Amino acid sequence: MTTAFSLEGISKRFGEVTALDNVSLELNEGEVLGLIGQNGSGKSTIMKVMAGLHRPDTGIIRVGGKVVQLRSPLEAAQAGIGLVHQEQSLITSLTVAENLFLDKPAGSTSLGFYRWANLRDRAKHQLDKVELDIDPFTPVSELSFGQRQIVELAKVLSLEELVHGHMVILFDEPTAVLNPPEIQALFGQIRRIKHRSSVVFVSHRMDEILEISDRVYVMSDGRNVATRDKEHVNVDELYELMVGKQRVNRTDRKPREAHIGAEPALTLKNVTVPGEIDDISLTLAPGEILGLIGVQGSGAETILRTIFGIADEWQGKIEYFGAPLTIDSPAEAVAKGIGYLPAERKTEGMIRNTSVSENVAITYGWQHGRGAGLISRGKERGMIEGWVRKLAIKTPSIGHRIDNLSGGNQQKVVLSKWLFGKTLKVLMLDHPTRGLDPGARGDLFAVIRELADQGLAILLVGDTLDEVLTLSDEIIVMKDGRVSARITDVQAAPPSEEELVKAMV
Amino acid sequence: MENALRLLRRNGAVVVLILILVAVSTAAPGILRWRAINGLLQDNAPLLILIVGATLPILLGCLDLSIAAMASLAAVVAAMLSPVLGSASVPVVVAGAAAIGGLQGYLIGRLQVPSFVISLGALGIFKGIAMYLTAANMVGITPGIWIYDLLGSRSFGMSNSFLLVLITAGLFAAMLRFTNLGRNIYAFGANEIAVYISGVRRDLVRSFAFAASAGCAALGGIMMISQTMFASATVANSLLLPALVGVVVGGTAISGGVGGVLSSLIGGLIAILIRVGVTISGLPPESQDVAFGITILIAVALTTDRAKIGVVK
Repeated sequence: MTTAFSLEGISKRFGEVTALDNVSLELNEGEVLGLIGQNGSGKSTIMKVMAGLHRPDTGIIRVGGKVVQLRSPLEAAQAGIGLVHQEQSLITSLTVAENLFLDKPAGSTSLGFYRWANLRDRAKHQLDKVELDIDPFTPVSELSFGQRQIVELAKVLSLEELVHGHMVILFDEPTAVLNPPEIQALFGQIRRIKHRSSVVFVSHRMDEILEISDRVYVMSDGRNVATRDKEHVNVDELYELMVGKQRVNRTDRKPREAHIGAEPALTLKNVTVPGEIDDISLTLAPGEILGLIGVQGSGAETILRTIFGIADEWQGKIEYFGAPLTIDSPAEAVAKGIGYLPAERKTEGMIRNTSVSENVAITYGWQHGRGAGLISRGKERGMIEGWVRKLAIKTPSIGHRIDNLSGGNQQKVVLSKWLFGKTLKVLMLDHPTRGLDPGARGDLFAVIRELADQGLAILLVGDTLDEVLTLSDEIIVMKDGRVSARITDVQAAPPSEEELVKAMV
Repeated sequence: MENALRLLRRNGAVVVLILILVAVSTAAPGILRWRAINGLLQDNAPLLILIVGATLPILLGCLDLSIAAMASLAAVVAAMLSPVLGSASVPVVVAGAAAIGGLQGYLIGRLQVPSFVISLGALGIFKGIAMYLTAANMVGITPGIWIYDLLGSRSFGMSNSFLLVLITAGLFAAMLRFTNLGRNIYAFGANEIAVYISGVRRDLVRSFAFAASAGCAALGGIMMISQTMFASATVANSLLLPALVGVVVGGTAISGGVGGVLSSLIGGLIAILIRVGVTISGLPPESQDVAFGITILIAVALTTDRAKIGVVK
């Protein structure tokens, strides 16, 4: 077999985070390589490097044995590499035909004007290749998600006429929005194009990877930890490999002794958000830490956002200390004693260009004021400095801008906003340790445990397996919007990491 | 370089004010006499009060384009109500304007339409109503009403209208500094989404800012008629551009979160001196708008935080 494409010793860092650490990859002609790994394992980064969207810090890329530089998606396309986007990259208000040739240097134009008849013919030819029987002049907005994904494929396959030789087609989680028949149609297309292309296929779902791939490539913590031929795949081994460094050290482990209240603080009964979560039930008591985990798009975040009043229309029943809960806005949630630490720290968590103290005091500062809406910065100052000491926030002063702090310290500031009040009963943490270094993670873990010991009910969406295993009293694993596993009494009898991964993918 | 730029942003308005004052007073030394200053402040009190009010929506990162039209409409309505209500016409009109402004603020969130579109629509509506009410004629106010006489006269040698501007600006500055609402206004301008997720009622914050801006605008219209003793449907319409110039030249960024009422007052003084400068330089009065247009372009280019708005459209 000939190697069509290879990466040799590719590394890529983003600030303090190493996304890819000396990764090599070989892709043979006519093969489908299944790329699998947890959130943050480096799958997306490696795809972006191959598609010319990221430039690696070190390492070599070869196409057909020749060393190439992929400085832009256009250069990647000229080398025969095309990325079928995960997020729909089509412009929905334009027609299928226009979208197909939007990114091509040789569009059907003459002096800048479309030659519509020519455009229709060429588009028809591309759509025939993927067996999509629609009028090329249909606006994309009228297509189903499955059809759009096929158009995305056609857009990439139209490279065929522009490059000589072999092609490399990259699929970044193409099945996320598709239903089973649409997935099968897509797989049919992938098998069909194998005669003149190699395929890299990323998915969160193990069954899909096993079905379509000739080889499986496992990533963990920015490294390639194994490559297995289809014939020699051991699924349990794959789960084990995916866990990677996220293993809890069981000998040093200190189980938490929880004092869980008898009456639940929060009860969800059959809560459904169409298209996101389906029939979710759970209870959370004061003093308890309930950990949710799932791959991207599993719906775990949606549960938190629904409770906080910022999700779409939902059905079902939510009870809060025995009474029905109806919340339309975060302001109502906060008034009732529910707090939410968002995953998107920069856009939803911190108030940029503002001091540490204003970030801490924004929600509950008024509770320490003089009444009548007057705030007392003097009184706040002492309390904020107390939290800065307690959470070991590294900042020159509380008047310092939050933008200049490190990620971990920013996160601690955003967390202290919720600890600043007197009325908080339930705290929801959405990926609280995302992007933090190990030291900051450990600090944050300690704080979260202490808060639960003080009687706060905590609902947590974990970034990693060890996070939920270390913190939670109960774990709920989410997959495709549903609960796929429920593990109680985690501190006394922790499940294995593989058990969680298996329920996730 | 970055520090120098930040320093200029923080104190730039004062530097510009001094430079322009030196330039103008060199050309016309008479301008520095107390009588001249007092007269200028009295004539421009309506502009200054508009500037004070317009600062609040801009601190949020919003824009209220309806202030001048609101001032004209308020002037007309106050004049028409003066024979019936007497002095009470002033609080009634100001409260009514604030209520309408609050509604504008509420509609931005409710309809999810940008503030400049909502207030542009309001501008058209206010203008049309003012025209309809007056049938394009002048409306005189009944002479001898205590409150209009007060606004048109002086205490301690200073225009009462200007004193009212100072009092209002002081109240707003204290509100911004010492109340929870003020904290929320600045934070809203810095990151609206994060403030919403923090549990702040952003609809109330927005409504308050637009109520304040409309209320101040109405007060501006009333100050105008207390000097001229009659109102027309377009009496204050030319104030929109200089008012916005005052706010941004003062250092309140149109992207929100930075600035304040007192810096806007300094910006307002600059706007007044630009007017004076154009007049004494012998240029035709129409060049005022050209000067204001150029000034607002430069000021916004220097003060906008482009990292925050992402794409500039």
